[in-house]
Amino acid sequence: MAFSSWNGKIMDNRTTGKGAGKAKKSAEGAFPAQLDGQSFAALMGWNGLVIVDPKADVVALTLAYLKEAKGLSCGECSVCMIGIDRVLDILKKMAAGKGDQYDLGEIEEIVKGVMANGKCNFGRATALTPVLDAVKYFKADFLALPKAEKKFIEHKDYRSAVTAPCMNACPAALDIPGYIELIRNNKFKESLDLVRERCILPGVIGRSCTHICEDACVRKDMDGSLAIRLLKRSAADQDLQGGASALTTPKVEKKEKIAIVGAGPAGLAAAYHLRRMGYQVTIFEALPKAGGMAAVGIPDYRLPKDILNHEVDLIKRMGVEIRFNSPVELLNWPDLQKEGYAAAFLAVGAHVGTKIGCKGEDIASDDVVQGAEFLRNLSLGKRAAPVNKVVIIGGGNVALDCARNCIRLGYKHVEIVYRRSPAEMPGSKEEIEEAIHENVKFTYLTAPVGIVRKAGKVVGIECLKMKLGEPDASGRKRPVPIKGSEFTLKTDMVIAATGQKPDLVLLTGKEKVDMTTTWGTIKADPRSCSTAVGGIFAGGDCVSGPATLIEALNMGNKAAKSIDAYIQGKTFADDLTFEGIDVSQQRDMGFVSPAKTGEVKFLEVDERLKGFAEVEGGFNAAAAMKEAQRCLRCYRLMVWQ
Amino acid sequence: MVNISINGQKIQAKEGANVLQEAKDLRIDIPTLCYHNDLTTFGACRLCTVEVKTDGAWKFAASCQTEVAEGMEVLTDSDKVKESRKLAAALLYYKYPGTQAVRDIAEKLGVEVAPTETDSRDCILCGLCTRTCHEIVRADALKFQDRGLGRSLEEPKIEFISSACIGCGSCAYVCPTGFVRMEAVDGKRMIWDKVFKMAVCNNCGRYFAPVEQLEFISRTTGVPVSNLMTCVSCR
Repeated sequence: MAFSSWNGKIMDNRTTGKGAGKAKKSAEGAFPAQLDGQSFAALMGWNGLVIVDPKADVVALTLAYLKEAKGLSCGECSVCMIGIDRVLDILKKMAAGKGDQYDLGEIEEIVKGVMANGKCNFGRATALTPVLDAVKYFKADFLALPKAEKKFIEHKDYRSAVTAPCMNACPAALDIPGYIELIRNNKFKESLDLVRERCILPGVIGRSCTHICEDACVRKDMDGSLAIRLLKRSAADQDLQGGASALTTPKVEKKEKIAIVGAGPAGLAAAYHLRRMGYQVTIFEALPKAGGMAAVGIPDYRLPKDILNHEVDLIKRMGVEIRFNSPVELLNWPDLQKEGYAAAFLAVGAHVGTKIGCKGEDIASDDVVQGAEFLRNLSLGKRAAPVNKVVIIGGGNVALDCARNCIRLGYKHVEIVYRRSPAEMPGSKEEIEEAIHENVKFTYLTAPVGIVRKAGKVVGIECLKMKLGEPDASGRKRPVPIKGSEFTLKTDMVIAATGQKPDLVLLTGKEKVDMTTTWGTIKADPRSCSTAVGGIFAGGDCVSGPATLIEALNMGNKAAKSIDAYIQGKTFADDLTFEGIDVSQQRDMGFVSPAKTGEVKFLEVDERLKGFAEVEGGFNAAAAMKEAQRCLRCYRLMVWQ
Repeated sequence: MVNISINGQKIQAKEGANVLQEAKDLRIDIPTLCYHNDLTTFGACRLCTVEVKTDGAWKFAASCQTEVAEGMEVLTDSDKVKESRKLAAALLYYKYPGTQAVRDIAEKLGVEVAPTETDSRDCILCGLCTRTCHEIVRADALKFQDRGLGRSLEEPKIEFISSACIGCGSCAYVCPTGFVRMEAVDGKRMIWDKVFKMAVCNNCGRYFAPVEQLEFISRTTGVPVSNLMTCVSCR
């Protein structure tokens, strides 16, 4: 490493130049050492300059960076856009052999002015910040140009990448500042189109996403994160209210047929992108409904099914065939190939509940059921009569969904039993809060050991009190049983919601051995979705185990790209990752005037319990545009060689 | 009410008010190109910048988009503020050297302005027209054609949505540079690239409003067009 100004910390190992030899040692993680697992010669990013190869051309790198920055500046505030233009013009003049050190002084003045007075974080942090480091610490390189000691050569081999804290947190790397900016500019349709590039179920995800993007929002610790999920929902809602736009049909038809097993988020996303490329896509779906867990997992009060059905219909109308009630009982790849399928994508999800691991749960009965099965039956219209008391084992969203459904179904007493404390509970905070409003009882640090039956009917569940021990592999504190704390909880029914795994009966013989993991999931490359069998790809919950809709959906996005590369005989190129780079870092935030996030209406509890009406209201157009104004556009740009 | 100080003067400000408005009420001159009392603030021109101290440190802030807060200290004419405004004005002048409104404000803020023959009336992207069309007229005929990741427009500009325009002329009225032009010839009004037929007042017989505007008002208020055919002077 020759030089780094990353995050404002100067490390200079050069033998000449200002500040040379100031710091010889470089702390690990002080600057990006690699990009996407590869080394680089020189890097200019929003947070500084990193020069590995002392021969790297800093002037050319600076110009390349400014050109990329120009394309990202929205032009909404004068200083950022014109500041970039002005600095570019000065540097071009210097590169042409004119100019002097006063020009560098002017650049410094402009950069500082834009950093202090820019409207958003792009101007304050990204647009020009590293240019200041370049002209300050590589002054001689710039001054060599007008002195004709050096001739300017424009390099073309720079690569560039853009992210943002929210984008980097999103499993599907949605261009969040981009679609928010379009909403801010009253362009809801364009915003939706941008969302659809990477998320083909915007109304579904806009309602049910776990939105980890919001945890990464720079405003989180100031005046609250942007309501990113609700903004996405508003783009979808506005489109639906305005008559609903269709998806783009393919420009050219390709002859290759592709089989997709499972019409969940992964399967639908893959189908959409493959169809858009022109492929002939058939989805085999075991259930009578499309949507996977969005259809038979997420309850109606969180996701009205007409929203899902509309988004599935749009995909169907592009020419994707969905064969319902068509479980693939045996994946016979040679037969599928004979039928003309060029590739298959397995996205069967994880719909089989795992055992709690307590006595008496193996006895088949109606009063001990699996959470996933309970939700699925409810979605398919198979309702059992409510009982007086139900105990739900587990602390995830499935447990919460079961509990809130039971309340609506008329179960008198609904109790969630979880073996750790509230802090370790994996279920979403919002759902826990709503469940409490709706009178769901929570019992923590309690684990079931046996189901108690009388005359074949469940009458209780024997439990043990727990305490928290050392953290386990997941990082959460391990629950440890307290000796002699056994007690019996009275109940008429038990729902086990402690996890799910995929049903892989379709794999047999050698394929089963080659393609499955010891966890009971399908073995597939997490980036390309390829499996041990050429032509067969897999993704979503059946590969990752139970995860979020957006993660599954993104695997579908990747699978489509990967399948296309496979068929066309090209190399699959995945999106670049920013692993090992702290994208939340920024030198100075400047002043941000507090503005509270827009509030939405929630259905009154009395109204909720009458049925399955949607609980959370959305933003109307005006509220969405107002909320979008809060976005600080924290785009992070990097240009490297 | 919240207690704030502007240039050392202690005042009580209305909750939710912005610093720019409070300063104007004290007759403190703060330059702006994108601000209007009746519109939401936009923070585009960066000329109204001030220094604010909230958590011990002085920072720059666009006064139009800074909400007053208890104990806030504001400086509107420190040397740093003057420098910052001058830089913003210099950049605007660099980009739009032939636009009179920009030249005037740049000169006022200490930028050396060279004489010119041109009168280019450029769009400076202040957003006054888009906000007026959306917030006041509610026609949504003007929107920013924006840039950002994956979009490759050379320069951002205002998009005119012809089908939504009712020809009211509010954008031309509010435009600070004269970029939006409106012309009237023989019972017709031309605005952006659209020609509107003007309606005649039932009483005085003068042209008074585009027919499309009256139809729009009728649609949004439920009043029949026939009841709207009298001009403001005759009403």
